[in-house]
Amino acid sequence: MTTTPTIEPKAGRAQLDRKTTRPLLQIENLDIHFPTPNGLARVVDGCNLTINHNELVGIAGESGSGKTTLVEAILQIIRFPNRISNGRVMFSPDGNEPVDLMQLNKRQMRRMRGEHIAYIPQGSMNSLNPVMRVGAQIVDAMVDHGISDRQAKEKVPGLLARVGLEERVARLYPHELSGGMKQRVIIAIAISLEPELIIADEPSTALDVNVQRLILEALANLRQDMNVAIMIVSHDLPVHAQLVDRIGIMYAGQIVEAGDIRSTVKKSLHPYTRGLMGAIPSIGGPRERLGGILGTTPSPSNWPDGCRFHNRCPHKMDICTSVQPLLVPLAAGPRTVFGEEIDVLAARDVACHLYPESTPEGAAT
Amino acid sequence: MSNPPLLQLEKATTIFGRGASETVANKDVSLALDEHESRLISIVGESGSGKTTAARCLLGLQKPTSGQALWRGKDIYKLKKQERFMFRREVQAVFQDPYGIYNPFYKINRVFDLTISKFKLADGNTEKLELIDDALKAVNLRPHDVLGRYPHQLSGGERQRVMLARAYLVKPKVIVADEAISMLDVAVRAVIMNILMDFRENLGISTVFITHDLSAAYYLGGDIMVMQRGRVVETGSSVDVMNNPQDDYTKLLLSSIPSPDPDQRWGSAPIPVAAAD
Amino acid sequence: MRAFVSLWQDSGKFKLGFIITAILVAVALLKQPLLALHLGDINPLREASFPIFLDPSREHPLGTDRFGRDVLGLVFVGLPTSLQVAFMAGGLSTVIGAVVGFVAGYKGGKVDTTLRTITDAFLVIPTLPLIIILAAYSRNLTSFQLALVLAAFSWPFAARTIRSQVLSLRERPYIELAKMTNMSDSQIIVQEVFPNMAPYVAIGFATASVGAAFSLVGLTVLGLAPSNQMDLGTLISLAWGWGVISLGKEWIFAAPVTLLILLFLGLALVQQGMEEFFNPRLRGQS
Repeated sequence: MTTTPTIEPKAGRAQLDRKTTRPLLQIENLDIHFPTPNGLARVVDGCNLTINHNELVGIAGESGSGKTTLVEAILQIIRFPNRISNGRVMFSPDGNEPVDLMQLNKRQMRRMRGEHIAYIPQGSMNSLNPVMRVGAQIVDAMVDHGISDRQAKEKVPGLLARVGLEERVARLYPHELSGGMKQRVIIAIAISLEPELIIADEPSTALDVNVQRLILEALANLRQDMNVAIMIVSHDLPVHAQLVDRIGIMYAGQIVEAGDIRSTVKKSLHPYTRGLMGAIPSIGGPRERLGGILGTTPSPSNWPDGCRFHNRCPHKMDICTSVQPLLVPLAAGPRTVFGEEIDVLAARDVACHLYPESTPEGAAT
Repeated sequence: MSNPPLLQLEKATTIFGRGASETVANKDVSLALDEHESRLISIVGESGSGKTTAARCLLGLQKPTSGQALWRGKDIYKLKKQERFMFRREVQAVFQDPYGIYNPFYKINRVFDLTISKFKLADGNTEKLELIDDALKAVNLRPHDVLGRYPHQLSGGERQRVMLARAYLVKPKVIVADEAISMLDVAVRAVIMNILMDFRENLGISTVFITHDLSAAYYLGGDIMVMQRGRVVETGSSVDVMNNPQDDYTKLLLSSIPSPDPDQRWGSAPIPVAAAD
Repeated sequence: MRAFVSLWQDSGKFKLGFIITAILVAVALLKQPLLALHLGDINPLREASFPIFLDPSREHPLGTDRFGRDVLGLVFVGLPTSLQVAFMAGGLSTVIGAVVGFVAGYKGGKVDTTLRTITDAFLVIPTLPLIIILAAYSRNLTSFQLALVLAAFSWPFAARTIRSQVLSLRERPYIELAKMTNMSDSQIIVQEVFPNMAPYVAIGFATASVGAAFSLVGLTVLGLAPSNQMDLGTLISLAWGWGVISLGKEWIFAAPVTLLILLFLGLALVQQGMEEFFNPRLRGQS
């Protein structure tokens, strides 16, 4: 329902042909490390991810997998001053030569965040100013980025309509709104500067299911209406399954599998993804005992050697304990893994020694 | 009806506040658990539906404004000392927040030590250690992974399993689990639910499972009680109710749950905005 | 103990304040040996032991006063009295405040309403004028009685902070778990609530002691404290009466004032350090 490919071109922004232009965002070997009393915490460690124009991408992972830190790295809002970061975050909002967000200074990054990347942090619906009318807060956000007061005020009704709110909501105070309405106001603020990328961190957590559905559908509609790419970070795989085009599964500071949503959840390549899918109950059909994943998430200051999942993996091999697998695209074609045949059709990336391409060349076998 | 039910809510109504700010958290909620037939009852609903209030009434943590919470036919709030002791032994709880449930001041061991001494479960140290060992085994924890540590050194799943081990120690007749999996990672939720199902199968412990997650209720099976704004709107066997919901609210909830299968789209009918807000 | 060690390592303020306070307390405790070392067996309060208004010298590091007494000796005598009253008043008011706060916060309901009304009534009484009147009517107060009077009006502050902390602790899930474990109310208060309250009680004690020391100086400078004993406030009051500053003998005045400032500073730093440590919202930007 939300994945109809027709995209209306928006005035003032050239319609980009997805096939010929470069990706909107390309994260290359990103490391974010913090020194802690227990040693260096490698919260994000060798992370790779690509987001295309007008794409809905999901990032899923357990708590402690580093997904929020990854988002903060893209936005350059990492709070710890003594962080060590490596790698590149190439961003190309207009399809031209990309800029590395890691190299921008504070002022340049602030502009980038307002005009090209919008951020909806976790729990941000509680961050509305309680003593200001909602409309004024939307206007403020635009005026901050150089839009005239009059122009900003004119845009408010349209922005509210985009997220399914009536015009009168502008005159209300946050406490007069329900949780779902507040979240939509936050989204209205995020889209007010017509960004190319919206990053939403757990946008529907702590909302009731039917409100969650409304919010997520509102986000999905924006993609069509505004020609924007959206990155959704959530621990909730069913939410991704309903919403995104492509998903990246994060484990222990790295993306371990990425691909289109349908094949990733239905024919998962990585044992971790399989474990996650196998732990989710669904309604209808026979009730089978779910497995879950044994063991606990390792700590960022003490990732296991080799494949970081090896001590929880039911398919562990000798090589897994010593050699780290690389995230590589698989060649198209059928192959047999986990005792079943998986036909790799679209581009799918995985980091696991069950796939020979993933083992670095020259590594002992 | 020779024996009164083990644990029962009888038309329990709970009202918070007075006058204009009055909130009816529960209205005429009834529920009964028999001693000889172990059951799994899920109470589901959204925030504000009153499901947690119902759980707290069952646990004797919230006194209903009218109606009664009964243990073996006696009002929970009028139990004599010895009866109270037995009530606490027979009805145990697992709470939502695996972080706040631990007093940060003490090591994990104290949870077990205190439970054993308060309920007089062991004579002497050897027996105590055996009990703890046994309880940890029942929830798949290794003693040296948790004993001697402070709560903040354990993961959420481990902490919740320690809580289940604690309940196991007491060998209760009923465990009331209030949103016990909602703050845990997906990968460990199933582990916790499996433990509860095993407790029922192997030890005959009933579970009252409070959750906002209908898929968890479906997975657990047993019976379900759907609550909306303090009232029970639908009851029945979990599988039947979810395969064939009768109440409009239950249908609305079911149509909003995201399925992990991308081919099974959210209900095609749009939800009326007014109902959600 | 764990808390103390990490507090010591974490908070420079606490460390500095604790050291200052500890030195003052040590000097007070060592009053007898210090006096013996300094003055031999001369009674430091005996008048005309030395010539009057001597300038500071090797023999009299702080000179002598108008009655021919060694000022350093007077300081050695006065400091313990001041500390004693301050800590006694602080301790008493903390104990009263803690008991009232604990009972009100934990019991709630009518008990809470009653105790809160009493607390609030005490809070709005203008304390200093009342103490002045009380002190003026009863000239021969012992330092314990004085501490009692000071405590009688300062406990409501402690009661209020402790009550609100107990209120928030009472809602913690682990309290409910304790109830599920069939612990009695008194066991819950002692074992579950109190350990987490200890820092707040300590903060209350430091705050109350600072307050008591302050009021005490106020009273003695006004000449309303017990006249039969020597404390730092009395010394200030005497020096003020002699007009020592216009006489160019300011050290008589400066010595007790400096000590009092150190005392306030020490206690206030301890209090702030603890407060910042246990209440992370106050910990600056981090």
